[in-house]
Amino acid sequence: MRNKIIGMCVLAMVVSVTAAFAQEGTVSSESLVKPREFVVYLDKNSRDNHYIPSGWMGDYSDIRMNDQAADNPHSGTTCIQFTYTPKKAPSQGWAGVYWQNPANNWGSKKGGFDLTGMTKLTFWARGAKGNEVIQKVVVGGIKGTYADTAAVEMGPIILTDSWKEYTVNLAGKDLTYISGGLSWVTTGDLNPDGIIFYLDDIKFVADSTVLPEAKKSENMPFYVYADRSSPNNHFIPSGWMGDYGDLKLDIGSKEDPYLGDTCIKITYNGKATQGARWAGMFWQNPPNNWGNVDAGFDFSKATKLTFWARGEKGGERIEEFKVGGIMGEFSDSDSSTVGPVLLNKEWTQYVIDLKGKDLTYIIGGFCWAANIDNNPEGAIFYLDEIKYE
Amino acid sequence: MRKILLILLLVSALAAGIFVAFYLKVPVLPPAPERKVFIRTFEESRYQLVVEGNPYIIKGVCYNPIPIGKNHEYDWWSDPHKPWLVDGALMQEIGINTVRFYQAGQNQEAVKAVIADLYQQHGIRTIMGNWLGFWEYPCPFYGDKDFQERVTKEVLEMVRLYKDEPGILLWVLGNENNYSCLGHVNPWSNEEIDKEPDPQKQKKMRLRIYYTFVNDLARQIHEIDPDHPVALGNGELIGLEDAKEYAPDIDLVASIIYRGKTFGNLFKSLKFSFDRPLFLAEFGADCYDAYKKEEDQNMQAFFLESQWRQIYQHLATSDSGEGNCLGGVMFEWTDEWWKHQEASPDGWTVHDTGSNWSNGSYYFDIKAEGNKNMNEEWFGLVGLSEEIENGINKRIPRKAYYVIRDFWKNPDLNPEKRKKK
Repeated sequence: MRNKIIGMCVLAMVVSVTAAFAQEGTVSSESLVKPREFVVYLDKNSRDNHYIPSGWMGDYSDIRMNDQAADNPHSGTTCIQFTYTPKKAPSQGWAGVYWQNPANNWGSKKGGFDLTGMTKLTFWARGAKGNEVIQKVVVGGIKGTYADTAAVEMGPIILTDSWKEYTVNLAGKDLTYISGGLSWVTTGDLNPDGIIFYLDDIKFVADSTVLPEAKKSENMPFYVYADRSSPNNHFIPSGWMGDYGDLKLDIGSKEDPYLGDTCIKITYNGKATQGARWAGMFWQNPPNNWGNVDAGFDFSKATKLTFWARGEKGGERIEEFKVGGIMGEFSDSDSSTVGPVLLNKEWTQYVIDLKGKDLTYIIGGFCWAANIDNNPEGAIFYLDEIKYE
Repeated sequence: MRKILLILLLVSALAAGIFVAFYLKVPVLPPAPERKVFIRTFEESRYQLVVEGNPYIIKGVCYNPIPIGKNHEYDWWSDPHKPWLVDGALMQEIGINTVRFYQAGQNQEAVKAVIADLYQQHGIRTIMGNWLGFWEYPCPFYGDKDFQERVTKEVLEMVRLYKDEPGILLWVLGNENNYSCLGHVNPWSNEEIDKEPDPQKQKKMRLRIYYTFVNDLARQIHEIDPDHPVALGNGELIGLEDAKEYAPDIDLVASIIYRGKTFGNLFKSLKFSFDRPLFLAEFGADCYDAYKKEEDQNMQAFFLESQWRQIYQHLATSDSGEGNCLGGVMFEWTDEWWKHQEASPDGWTVHDTGSNWSNGSYYFDIKAEGNKNMNEEWFGLVGLSEEIENGINKRIPRKAYYVIRDFWKNPDLNPEKRKKK
């Protein structure tokens, strides 16, 4: 009898280990035993680690990593220290790191784990000083030939100077193939002086108490732009339209901001570089999303979008300021505009009325458009405090 | 005992009446004097078109059968080979019951003959439109009294001429003319507008002038012809908050909508801006993949089937939608080979694959060069062959022709749900 019990225990252990390391195509035993945890990173030399922090992105030369930092780890003997020092120029303005399997796999190789049954990813993080801002973390999301079956984002995260646990809700997501265990991304705008931060104990967990997140309506106010380094900013001014070569954008202008340290300065030189004779700019989520990525915000609680604007000389004519209106496979659920507007030299608040609009799905958070016919010499104008209320 | 029976009978009759009113969706308003074509109103702004006493879903197509080698100036109404007879038979075969003309031809007798032939031989009714001078050079002067009077005369003449044709279904005033008020297309002004320095107020002034003018037209048409509703041909729903104020005599909205596979919040938004019944006066998809540079009939069929599904979801008889849709008119019946190189007669004989505009809602080929993915010469439900048959270019039905036929035979509003079962 005792031998039988020992034998069964050994069998159970073998099955557990097999399941824990199962990859796509080799998961036949997984239905027998579901692991409770699946580790991304515990300690530098932990045999339980499954992913490698090999996917350095954006301004990767601005990142330094010490994956055996012994400076106050959350558990064990080591944690990972990241130092991000954004260069002034020229740069992409952002950087990040993906934990991948196998190393450097951007979707060209098979390496995804079947994590079905996991309902969350947890990790511990702290900043060296506190108030360091991580723009977002992403679970999955690797594209390519062997694409991850899910991409789940969380953020922004403002770190404290002591360890704190963070959770990404994965309940209800298709986790049958995940080769990107976790990534973090941040920007120079959010951290102009650079940051040092620490991560530890990153793991997937099967917690049956976690339920799928209902698509939630965003709370108001919801900022598109507050200040250059504000973690409350949403949407990216990535959708340059028409004569995009005529445009210059400075999201950290210190020329008499309406509120805070900075405002947005837009220079439209009116040279018709692309021959369109007009130009405009969409704030999108995520960047460059023209309706091809399913990532809309729900602004059902909003009744208006307000912003402040002024012209360099006064009299600059903006044909329209707009919310929504991006059309694609995943279109904005509505749109609303104000304009044409003749800007004043002094800061003036404008309102886009959103009452009665269907704002359940918005990827184009804000937009402006102007043309040469009404601005023959171009236009310089400033924007600040763009927010849904 | 008799009294009790009488009371019971009265109560039963009342209860039955309430049941009928609430559950069988009978009109909440007393029926208007029976007109040939009218709109029945139900609770919660749900509407139904009624033609000669029967509910009517507009299953239509824009009809402008320009042959290969000709352009929009060609008088096809007077074509001795009568292309509408061949086309009418093909339309009838799949269930098309309505054609839309943007404007009547010059030859009044020929126009009457086309309307009569389509109706008498194929049961197809006519939506007759008028451009309201939208394309007049240099621009439509809606703020000018002389211009208004000239257009009014032309429109009322049209109504007088064709109102007694049995095939006439309704009138459409304009087609995206509201964009001229915003300065997007054919911008116009007058002295009063020019004096106003605020461009937002200028826009409002133009909308007031234009919609007031259209309302006057609608009112005068009703006086001449109480039998046919009058629709406002409007680009998207833009400006309709102003139409609500200035055009109360409009019976229904005829919107031109290109939003890809769905119409989004169109039907709900209309209730907020201008609570009128709606038919899609232009919608559809082209069948040329500008990215792969090849014909793609599947793409066109996919969009059109999805769009018809949405139209049916929002009919008054559907439980799932807003109930304010009367149907739709697809753009369009045949390809038109003159459109891309409009100014060059050489281009009218070439089925041009160039594109002039971009629309991200038609996302399959949005990665085409310059994102220009809308191919004007490839919107036909039937293609044109250079081969001549019965004196006209041979018609070649596309996949969408058959897909729509099957949808209309058995409208399946939840195909995904059924697949999962």
